[in-house]
Amino acid sequence: MSAETSPRGGLRDLKKIFGGGSSNVRQFGILFSLIAIILLFQFLTNGLTLSSGNLINLVSQYSYILILAIGMVMVIIAGHIDLSVGSIAAFAGIVVATAMQEWNLPWPLAILLGLVVGALIGAWQGFWVAYIGVPAFIVTLAGMLIWRGGNQVIGNANTVPVPDGFTVIGSGYLPEVGPFTGYNNLTLLLGLVIAAAVVLVEWRARRVQKIMGSDPAPLWVSILKVVLLDAVVIYATVLFAGGRAGTSFPVSGIILGVLVLFYSFITRNTIFGRHVYAVGGNKLAAELSGVKSRRVNFLVMMNMSILASLAGMIFVARSVASGPQDGLSWELDAIAAVFIGGAAVSGGIGTVTGSIVGGLVMAVLNNGLQLLGVGADRVQIIKGLVLLIAVGVDVWNKSQGRPSLIGFLTRKSKTGEFPSEPPAVIPTSGTPDSARPSDNPS
Amino acid sequence: MRKLLTTTAIAAVALMALSGCSTRTDTTSGSSAAAGFPADSLIGVALPSKTSENWVLAGGLFEDGLKAAGFKGDVQYAGASTTVKDQQDQISAMVTKGAKVIIIGAADGGQLGTQAKAAHDAGAIVIAYDRLILNTDNVDYYVAYDNFKVGELQGQALLDGLKAKKPAGPYNIELFSGSSDDANAPVFFNGAMSVLQPKIDDGTLVVGSGQTDIKQTATAGWKAENAQSRMDSLLTSTYGAKAIDGVLSPNDTLARAIITSVKAAGKPIPVVTGQDSEAESVKSIMAGEQYSTINKDTRVLVAQAIDMAKVLQKGKTPEVNDTKSYDNGKKIVPAFLLPPVIVTKANAAEAYANDPKLSPLTK
Repeated sequence: MSAETSPRGGLRDLKKIFGGGSSNVRQFGILFSLIAIILLFQFLTNGLTLSSGNLINLVSQYSYILILAIGMVMVIIAGHIDLSVGSIAAFAGIVVATAMQEWNLPWPLAILLGLVVGALIGAWQGFWVAYIGVPAFIVTLAGMLIWRGGNQVIGNANTVPVPDGFTVIGSGYLPEVGPFTGYNNLTLLLGLVIAAAVVLVEWRARRVQKIMGSDPAPLWVSILKVVLLDAVVIYATVLFAGGRAGTSFPVSGIILGVLVLFYSFITRNTIFGRHVYAVGGNKLAAELSGVKSRRVNFLVMMNMSILASLAGMIFVARSVASGPQDGLSWELDAIAAVFIGGAAVSGGIGTVTGSIVGGLVMAVLNNGLQLLGVGADRVQIIKGLVLLIAVGVDVWNKSQGRPSLIGFLTRKSKTGEFPSEPPAVIPTSGTPDSARPSDNPS
Repeated sequence: MRKLLTTTAIAAVALMALSGCSTRTDTTSGSSAAAGFPADSLIGVALPSKTSENWVLAGGLFEDGLKAAGFKGDVQYAGASTTVKDQQDQISAMVTKGAKVIIIGAADGGQLGTQAKAAHDAGAIVIAYDRLILNTDNVDYYVAYDNFKVGELQGQALLDGLKAKKPAGPYNIELFSGSSDDANAPVFFNGAMSVLQPKIDDGTLVVGSGQTDIKQTATAGWKAENAQSRMDSLLTSTYGAKAIDGVLSPNDTLARAIITSVKAAGKPIPVVTGQDSEAESVKSIMAGEQYSTINKDTRVLVAQAIDMAKVLQKGKTPEVNDTKSYDNGKKIVPAFLLPPVIVTKANAAEAYANDPKLSPLTK
């Protein structure tokens, strides 16, 4: 792709900041909206949006929705939907809370128990979807009822408190260690590691590109990318580390971060990940190419339930109790995040990072409106409209043969080419666009 | 285009860098009650979803009352489908905005510990309004109507109503209680049972279905539809042949749902208690359908909560009248309790004389 040089080469190079490939243009659009929304609220709330306390709130308030979005995007890429995640979260939450209260189960074991519960539920639902062939919509609609009811049976529709040790995964922070610096030292350290990782990753990518004989983006693009990303990382680090004493980067945010890295790797760089795209893009073609589509569907559904139970436990930990209303309509938040993040309803398209950005758009919007004192009723209306418009603009642009509004602006000179570029072979920018089972001879 | 993008990006980073600075101080903020706070401070009010008239009324009263007292008010309702999470987020937002007092009508009193702690750590005072916040040290005051008394009055009204209808027992009754995630629900129920249980034991009252445990009688989410469907099933299962004389209902919304169910089944309307003085129920009482309700004047309760904020603003300790009853699992929360009033058709005109909305209904 980089072999083609167009008159607008400079801009095309700049776009490589977001990686190559056409779906990245869409993510670029969403990321751009996120930045715009953040700046808008930063202005409207007189700087409260990007204050330490608020950023910390934002992470701990939405980490579990974002965790759900990670699982949901894989389900949606595979061409399914999961409506049961909120109920599974509530069920796992009450099982864990009850186990700790009734049997005095130590909290690390309780977390393990929760994950096992999630896995068993996931295996149950995966079995019906993958091996019996009941549509996931139906299986998970049933699951939504079954596990919500299960929550109320086990908890007697009561609120069950959890011990303090357990709450660390939902309302814990990186602890204070080392000398007093005016900041949380561990958070500073974490920020430095991430900033260094950004440089390292970019440097390695350039090296690999060179070895593979691919023509890397000009050096200034790489430097600008690293400088911009590191500026954001350092700025965020200072904010997270400089919050009220006793608060810092939330533990739930770290769990989220690890999961994002892990699942980005899985979906982009492993055979299983590519198979998910293959099955979602064209199931028959995938099967003919030797993809075991049943196993893929089973694992994707099971994985979603495990993440749902984790999200449920984080919420319980944050709420210091498991209640009968936990997880109500979370599935809808997660699904909204995934679609705002550029996934396709028909399956085969979507990325983990895109969904996280989509989820953050909703989160910042929600949080900003709350800071402005807009009532929950109107917030719902606004969120609904944003979802509709975000997906609407996207669909409309696709039907016009253009990837997105931003994409249109940046590729005006070459409309005839879409869809043209094969997804990049460059490792760091290999965000999948579509199902390409032939990539993975198995 | 390229220049525009680059400039925007750089400007964004620069703006972020300018606005960032550490808000951390070496000292943790202690109890701020002693010091008071500026008279135009922000007072946050977090209320549950708008499912009953009372909450809607309270929101308006808080807005007006806080403004009249010179405070900046921030009154928030949770959304109907995600009450708990909305409320958690709203309280966090109030803390971020620097509210000095946060008045919370909890959606689920057991799930606000983290937010109450964050509020406390930031130096805000937490007042539980109408519903107690459970399992946390970080709630300072509780202001509510005396809910055990409410239950007692409901139980007594049920007995009085039955006696007026039919001089001698045994009476067939059924029991309903509120949502099990509301800490008040068992208080109402136990209050009522303190009056009714002796009569059940001596055979004056017969619970036809045998469902006398609070778990069996609970109405999830205080939802009318749940009470109605439970009543439908009770009528089918138990009252095919015999008559039902009375129903203990914890509030007006549920009372009307129960009456609707009985009417649909074509049975004579039993003696049904209530609570909250909702307009529809006052009409129903005047029409001779619902037997009683409880007047817990929201105006008085809101005024009491705002008074507490005013006293706290001056750096003084607000008055409380109960320092032993309200154990939230972690501490005994000092409470100011207001006395409820029972209202039947007989005293409705008198009870609502000062209420501009309800008094015309009693004429």
